[in-house]
Order: sequence, then structure tokens, then C-alpha cells
Amino acid sequence: MPGMSEVGGWQQEFDPFTVLREGFGFVPNLLHAQAALPRAIAAHAKLEEALCFRDGALPRICKERILLSIAADRQDSYCTALTSAALASLGVPQAQIESLASNYRDAGLPDSDLALLKFCLKLSRNGSSICFEDTEVLRAHGFGNEAIIEAVVVTALAVYRCTLSVALAPEADCKPPLLRPKNVSAVPESTLTASVPKAHQKAERSGPFVPAPYLSSNEFEEFAIVQKSHGFIPNFFRAQTLRPDLLQAELYAVGSILMPEDLLTRAQKESILLAVSAANLNSYCVAVHCNMLRGLGLSAEEADQIAVDHRLSNLSSADMALLDFAVKLGPRFLEFSREDAAQLQTLGFTQQQILEGVAVTALNNFANTIQMGLGVEPDFEVPPVFEHRKMKLLDATPTLMPREGAVSLAETIQDADAELVAEVKGGNLEVFEELARRHTQLIYRALIAILGDVAEAQDAMQDTLLSAFKHIGGFEGRSKFSTWLVSIARNAALQRLRARRFTESLDSDDADEDRNFRPRQIAAWQENPEQCYSRSEIQRLVERGLLELPAKYRTVVMLRDVEHFSTEDVARQLRLSVPAVKTRLLRGRLMLREWLVPYMTRSSKGVA
Amino acid sequence: MITCEEFFAEFADYLENQVSPEVRQELELHLAQCRACHVLYDSSRKTIKIVSESDSFELPQKVFDPIIDRVMSKLRTERS
Repeated sequence: MPGMSEVGGWQQEFDPFTVLREGFGFVPNLLHAQAALPRAIAAHAKLEEALCFRDGALPRICKERILLSIAADRQDSYCTALTSAALASLGVPQAQIESLASNYRDAGLPDSDLALLKFCLKLSRNGSSICFEDTEVLRAHGFGNEAIIEAVVVTALAVYRCTLSVALAPEADCKPPLLRPKNVSAVPESTLTASVPKAHQKAERSGPFVPAPYLSSNEFEEFAIVQKSHGFIPNFFRAQTLRPDLLQAELYAVGSILMPEDLLTRAQKESILLAVSAANLNSYCVAVHCNMLRGLGLSAEEADQIAVDHRLSNLSSADMALLDFAVKLGPRFLEFSREDAAQLQTLGFTQQQILEGVAVTALNNFANTIQMGLGVEPDFEVPPVFEHRKMKLLDATPTLMPREGAVSLAETIQDADAELVAEVKGGNLEVFEELARRHTQLIYRALIAILGDVAEAQDAMQDTLLSAFKHIGGFEGRSKFSTWLVSIARNAALQRLRARRFTESLDSDDADEDRNFRPRQIAAWQENPEQCYSRSEIQRLVERGLLELPAKYRTVVMLRDVEHFSTEDVARQLRLSVPAVKTRLLRGRLMLREWLVPYMTRSSKGVA
Repeated sequence: MITCEEFFAEFADYLENQVSPEVRQELELHLAQCRACHVLYDSSRKTIKIVSESDSFELPQKVFDPIIDRVMSKLRTERS
């Protein structure tokens, strides 16, 4: 593939240090840490200039708030300090800065700013859960499409900075503010769609989330370069045509970091992009980079193997280690350690090559974030083996879930099971019995909900408990133990469904059907209808009604109304979006209502 | 006044007590005037209450005790 450098698109005169001094007031150590690779500094400075320093559709102060909230949320003390200093220099009071770093909701911001921060934090934590409604919420708060793109891209910049900061561990530029321990869940996502009156009811509409007017290579010369290097204009770039100013900076960064071949080869870089995108479960980027690697002469099987599990591919041990290193800067970045870089040096990588690998990974996380935030549709077919693997990962035990912690890091503290779990993990087998007893009902109900069969659910109890014990070592306490257990039970149940070649899908999203459901019966109910029946009659009636429901509604109703979990907890347990849970919950409740009508209206009496 | 369609669009959130005071006021105004929606709301609320208090699918101790015993003895055997 021809490099962009040949076309000269990114080699304009540009002094990164002047730009950085103007924007930050100094050159941050995060940039100094990239000194061995001037083009990485240039790329980074270009992104900062276009995405952060300039007042665009969002003013700088608003963007700095986003950058600060995300840095603090990712527990990145370097970036937290950097953005705190920027906000202070913009005249924001210290107290507000500290609130933003601990819980942005206490920062006394207007609702629209809160909605914006909530969106950006959700994108940074759990980007794949972003849906069209989330952008509708922003529109309802008065943000236009240009501003939404900017919010997405600024979030991506926050992720870019944090990736670099984790990998390069720069010295603090200034005294870090006190990062308060996070004992409060920063983002209760409950009201994300709920608080906005008349929000569109279009649950889980696929992307793209913002309109993308056609932009020709004549109007935007960078597209001519992309056309030449890629052979086409990927949807990723097309999705941002409302903001050519941001695109220009992104393409500059792509040109500076990905195109040169003096350090890492193109194939090495594309492998990093592929492996880290796969770890981020980003289908769009997996499809792009599989295709790129094939263009570089790799066989389709080999590329697919990197997407599915690079450790099983035929790469050299050095390349394998390079990917291991990069993947650690993906969703599990909290586990990264500086020794990982030292390891690469012993395998013969130079300081510059390692730095380039870091920059490529940062750029990858940046692009993955933008893709999810804008809902960019794939250019190519996503390799089926990857989709299969992804489904398995999403379905499988949370030990394999790279995103186990993505929803809330704060829950750990409030989990009443944490102590017992720790004891079991410490080797105390007997304590497992207590844990199992605590959650027997929950597991049983989760199994019934999916299987719709009492006897089979009882059968599946044993497998579920054994599987929970087997995998408990991989439970990291980043979600509630009960959430994790439900997913174990769900896997056990799904396995049984597959075994009996069950066809009804739990995950099918017939959203239209869900939404168009309308209640029919309108006869009034008695004042306290349940008093006409004994407790056991009511229980039997409800159980029969629940068994009548399709599994996907039954699961949601049972976890929410019988087990009394919050809507957000149910969403985590079933790995659904909150809007999807709400839609299914309403439909399930209304179906049960219909079922109960004959027993509850004024003309009916004790006929259960 | 809002239409039944508009009422239904907010219905899920209303049942969950998650609408803003302004929206709530609109919805309640509608409820006061529309019998069909009132019945729907009243019966849905009662449904949720009935289901929530039903203790459906409670697994009796005499069923789960042996299950837990089997699991624990299996784990003990595997360990030793």
C-alpha cells in the first residue's frame, strides 16, 4: 500500500511545541515522554490543537470537563492533574474541579452539561452500549450534530491521552489534585433516556447516529489521499464529514503514526490495530484491519486468527510479544505494568519501536471510541469467526469478559458478598456453601426465566454452582458478585437451550414488535384484587403467567419484579442496553397484565 | 392535553417513577380525563405489585439442600 507520506498530505509545516505551549501554557510531560519519536508528538499536538484547544461546536471549557471526568474515571492521575490545571487556568474554581474529578453530578452544572458528561463517560467506559437514543438525549438537550461529533471525538482524545499515560507513565507536570476514592457510583445510568420527555422510542437503532453529508475529494483534499492509500473512503471518515476540521487532524495523526515504515512495519502496525480492536470487541475496526492485513499479503485465515486469538497465530515470538503488549493497553489497561515494555526490549525492539507501538495502540483506542460513539457501519463483512467469538465472549463466563469492569468500577465497595468471595478465592472451599445458599433463589429464578421449565431449572442448578466455583478465580470484583452469578446461570441455561436446539432467541431484537405491542383489555380491576385469593393461589397464578411469556420478557420481568434488581443491574446481568431492558420490561408486564385480567376485574371472583 | 399515544410513550418511565415533574403533571392530567389509560395504568400498577409480592418460583429448602450437598461433596472430592 502506498504511504501517505509519498503524497505529502501530512507533511505540512507545523511546529508542535509552539502549538502545545499556546494550548497548555507549557509542554506537558506526556508529550516529552514521546521525544524519541517526533512524528508521534506532531500527531498528538495536531489532535490536541483541533480537538481540544479550539472552541468548536463545544467551548474549550466544556471539552476540558469531559477530559477531566474521563481521566478521573479511568483512575489516571497524570491526566487528571493535567486537565485540572487546564480548568484552573480557565478560571474554574477548585471546588468544582474536585467535584468533576470525584462525582461530576455534584459540580453544580446545568442539566445539559450533565447529560453531555454522562454520555461521554458511558462512551469511554462501555462504548459498545452506546445507541441512537443516547445521541437523541443529547439532541433533546440542545446539542447539534456537530457538537455530538465533537463530544465523541473529545472522548476519544481522552482515551488516547490515557492510553499514552498508562504506557509511558510520565512524571506529573504539576501537583496532582487529591483524587477522592470513588465510593459513589459516578454514573447511575438509570436516567440516561428516562429523564428526557418525549425521547424517541427507537430502541437500539443502528448507526450511523449522525447524518454525514457527501464530501468530495475536490472539496476536501485529504480524501484524495485516503482514496489513494485505501482505495476507497472508509465509512469511519465519511461519518465525520460534518466536521472536516476534526477529520483533518485525525488524518494527519493517521499519516504520521501509521503510514511511515521506518520503525515497525505496516504489517506489525495493522496486527496491533487488529488485535487491540478485537480485544475492544470492535467489529467495525476488526473488519477494516483484517482487510488491510489481507492487502498486505497475509492469508485470510491468518488475519482471522489474530482477530480471534493472536496467541494461536503463526506470528514470530517477537511479534506475538508486541501484540501481547499492545493488547494490555486495551480494555484491561489497569493491569498494564511498565515491565511489559522492558520485556519487549529483551526481544530486540528498540525504544523508538516500542514508542511507536504505544502510539499505534493509542490511535487505535481513539478510533475504536469514535466508531462506537458515532455508530459507524462496517465497510466490509466482519469475519464470521470473529463475530462468533465475540458472541461467545459476550455470552461466556465473565472470566473471559474483557469488559466485566466497564460498567461500574464503584460497585466493588458495595458488594455484600465481597468478603466471602475473597475467602473462597483464598482457598476456603467451605465458605462457598454459604455463598451458594445466599444466592440459590436468584440462580434458580434466572434459570427458570431462561429455560421456562421448573424441572430443567432444578437440573441445571448443580451445573451452575459447579461452574461458578470453577470460574470464581477469574471474578475480579468489578461487577457485583450477583451480576456475575446471573451471567454464569445464563450461560448454563443457554447451553441447555442449544442442546435442545431451541429456536427462540433471547437476544433477538424485534424492537418494532416490542414497541407496537398495545394492551387490549380495558375492564377496570377491583380495588385490591389479590385479596380475593390466597397467597399460594396468587403465587401459582403468577407462575403460570410467567411461564406463558416468551423467555426474553420473562427473564427481564423475573429479575426486575421478582428478584427486585434495578433496571441497570438487569441490563448488566443480561448484557443488554438499559433502553432494551425497559422496552422488554414494559412488554412483559403488559403481557402479564393481560393474563391476569380474567381473575382481577370487577366481574371475576376467585376462579384461579 | 396529550394524546393516548403520547401517554403510552412515557408509560414505562411513569410506572418506574422516572419522569420529570413537568411530564408527570401532563400524564396525570391525561389520566384524570381518559378512562382507558386510567384503567391501563391502574391495572399495570397492580400487576407489578402482585408479581413483586408473589414470591414466584421459590425453591423449597427441601429441594435445594440436597443440590447444595451434592455440589459441596463433589467439590470436596475433587480437592482431595
